[in-house]
Amino acid sequence: MQDVIQKQLKIQANAEKVYTAIADPNQVVQWFPNSLEGDYTPGSQPLFGFGEHGKSRIYVVEARPHDYFAYRWVPGANHYQGDVLSVPTTLVEFTIKAISEGVCELTLTESGFSQLPADMMADAFKQNSNGWEFMLNRLTQLVETTP
Amino acid sequence: MTADIYRAMGDPIRLTLISRLAGSQPLSIGDLSKNLGISRQGARKQIQVLVDAELVELMPKGRSTEVVLKHNKLRQAREFIVQLESQWDQRLEALKNFVED
Repeated sequence: MQDVIQKQLKIQANAEKVYTAIADPNQVVQWFPNSLEGDYTPGSQPLFGFGEHGKSRIYVVEARPHDYFAYRWVPGANHYQGDVLSVPTTLVEFTIKAISEGVCELTLTESGFSQLPADMMADAFKQNSNGWEFMLNRLTQLVETTP
Repeated sequence: MTADIYRAMGDPIRLTLISRLAGSQPLSIGDLSKNLGISRQGARKQIQVLVDAELVELMPKGRSTEVVLKHNKLRQAREFIVQLESQWDQRLEALKNFVED
C-alpha cells in the first residue's frame, strides 16, 4: 500500500498567484476550507473550518514564497481539533514550479499514511463520505459562480 | 486496536508477499518465502507482521500452513486512499478554477 498521494497539475497562472491562493488566509478559504481561525504561519496551529461538517486543526510546517507551502493534519477526519503534534499525522506539501510565462506546475503530496494507526484510518474512512459531499457542493458553487 | 494496516504494507518485502497472494490461490509459508532475497526466518517474521495487521490468515493444511489473503481488509485500505485522492482532485480543481479566473 502506498504511503504517499501525489497529484500534479498545470495551472495557467504565475507561481506568485498560485502560492498566494494557497498561503494567504483570505484566499485559501475561497477554494479549500471555508473558514480559517488563528495564525496561518509556520509553527502555528490554525483551524480549518468545513461548514457544518466540522473543523480540523492543522500545523503549518513551512511557507516559502513563492514555491513551497506545507502543513500537517489528521487526514480524512474533519473533526480533529486537538494538538496536531501529539497524534500521528500526514504531511501535506504544495510545490510550485514555473514552467513558462504565466504557466506553472503544482505538485501536491500527502505522505505518512503508513504511520497511521488502523483505528484512525477507520474513523477517517467513516467520516470521509461527509467530506466528499462537502467538497462536491463547494466545487459546484465555485463553477457556477465563475464566469 | 493494535492492527496497523498501513505500516504493515509500507515495506517492499511485505508488498511483494501481498502481491504474490493477490495474484494466486493461497500459498504455503514455504512457497511464499521463496526468492525474496531474505532468509526463511526473515520471511516468516514479515509474514507475521501481515498476520498481526489482519491482512492475512494462517490456515493449517495437512503438514504445511497456508497463507490466505483477507481481501476485505485490503479493499478497505485501498478505498480509503482512493477517497482521499478524489478529495484532492476536487480541491485542486477548485484551486485551478480560482487562480485561472
